[in-house]
Amino acid sequence: MRDTFVKTLLKEARKDSNIILMTGDLGFGVLDEFQKELPAQFINSGVNEQTMMGLAGGYASTGKRVFVYSIGNFPTLRCLEQIRNDVCLMNNSVVVVSVGAGYAYGSQGYTHHALEDIAVLRALPNMDVIVPADPHETIGITQLLTTTKNPSYLRLGKSNEPLIHKKEVLITPGKINEISGGADGTLIFSGSVGVIAVEAARELALKSINVSVASLPFVSQIDLDYLKSAAKKGPIVVVEEHSYRGGVGSAILETLSNHAISAQVALVAASQTNLSQIGDQDFLRNENGISSKNIISKFLALRAN
Amino acid sequence: MEKIQSPFSNAAELALAARHEIIKMTSVAKASHVASALSVVDILSTLYAGSADISPSKLGDPDRDIVILSKGHSASALYSVLALQGFFPIEWLADYCKNDAPLGGHVTFKGVPGVELSTGSLGHGLPYGLGIAMSRKKSGVSGRVFVVLSDGECDEGTIWESAMIANHHNLDNLVVIVDRNKIQSLTFTEDTLKLEPFADKWRAFGWETEEVPGHDYQALQKSLATQSTPKCIIADTTKGKGVDFMENSVLWHYKSPSTDDVTKAFEQLSENY
Repeated sequence: MRDTFVKTLLKEARKDSNIILMTGDLGFGVLDEFQKELPAQFINSGVNEQTMMGLAGGYASTGKRVFVYSIGNFPTLRCLEQIRNDVCLMNNSVVVVSVGAGYAYGSQGYTHHALEDIAVLRALPNMDVIVPADPHETIGITQLLTTTKNPSYLRLGKSNEPLIHKKEVLITPGKINEISGGADGTLIFSGSVGVIAVEAARELALKSINVSVASLPFVSQIDLDYLKSAAKKGPIVVVEEHSYRGGVGSAILETLSNHAISAQVALVAASQTNLSQIGDQDFLRNENGISSKNIISKFLALRAN
Repeated sequence: MEKIQSPFSNAAELALAARHEIIKMTSVAKASHVASALSVVDILSTLYAGSADISPSKLGDPDRDIVILSKGHSASALYSVLALQGFFPIEWLADYCKNDAPLGGHVTFKGVPGVELSTGSLGHGLPYGLGIAMSRKKSGVSGRVFVVLSDGECDEGTIWESAMIANHHNLDNLVVIVDRNKIQSLTFTEDTLKLEPFADKWRAFGWETEEVPGHDYQALQKSLATQSTPKCIIADTTKGKGVDFMENSVLWHYKSPSTDDVTKAFEQLSENY
């Protein structure tokens, strides 16, 4: 996902010198081509996320679109107040880009796991939180972000994510991208964790239960029409690689509540029972309850109600 | 009809008028930080009376000089100077901190002409100014960026991160002016977290650094006039300057002047200036 992002950004930045890529000294081997080709549009500020984010705000105030790139928690939690005051309050054209969503940096330990970022960034006014499902979605979303001016948060996976969509997706802001349809209920996911939702849908189909599987990239702009029809259709399970507290599932529950929509909803998210547990992404997802087994049992429990 | 003031070209006259406004508005609003405002007002007056190339008619210019007051708690000083220089109607000052008024207790950007950045949380102004200066330098846009810091604010790590970055990129369009009044929130700076040798620190970070008397307009003007690298001006100031019972007192970081205090303060201003 990160390579797709950088390639897409480079393509757009060649055409538009106002596009700036800033990094807090991360992106070895990933940002080289951009830096080499467009040095005037590339800044490595050093290891100083708080100052970097304030700097990005000031830089953007001069009419630039600044993409600030780093790993998981570093361009988000580490410099939260700079995002709040110098980006969101000032409505500056900054895109915070994190790589390593959820457990993507699995064995590197909890300091490198991004499990609270959506909750925290989603709480900020003026901030668009966007979570692509796969490289196909990443292309369209990156292109979109080069044309908009809003403060935004782009939450990327890392590398070698499976393609969830069969081909490139036409991205419409605020719209869900459905992977497959089914009449008995809906699995909504955000991010590369969608592969588990797809697997759960396949297993449910073996029991003759057909569910829709849908990617929700626009977390701070929930697709209300889709949600309304999903609520009518049957149970909804929301799948995310993030804490239960304040993530995509919470965003959906808030939307349902704000619009007085009755729905059967269950969340599948990270239980975070052992913060210090080491392991790869698949292992840690599973250990923390993000599994097709859990999706299926929660779906069936709702269905039995 | 709201009055738009004719601008002052003399920093001393501007600062004296601003001192009166600061004392009035913090009294009426029962607001804090009057002494911080009296400490920094000569620096701001020097900038807005000509050392910075900025006026209401230039606000839309992409190459205007930028002034950022990073010590946002001195809002009354910036607002007074901006109003007196005609950036917005002087009547606004009377509504300082009132419900739905444009001017709040910390510097607020939206709807206040002349304010470049909302501040109030320390350590934000310099990284932001650094971003503007870096973008301008990379794009060949002229116009300098002046960031006014408090000395206590230099406890923040972002100040020193910014100092490194400005030096690395040789941002010779960036100026820091530190309001060195030697008092911070609870007590003296040197009893809280030692800043000295303060000028040597900035020099070690690669900044052209000058220590100047911070209430001396000519000395400030002279120091602000030239630079060949990022420049730090350490302005030696007195907290509460101009009103003896407010001077060098931690209490007046918080206390709001009573009606009696205002009368006494105005008497002193007419004696001292």
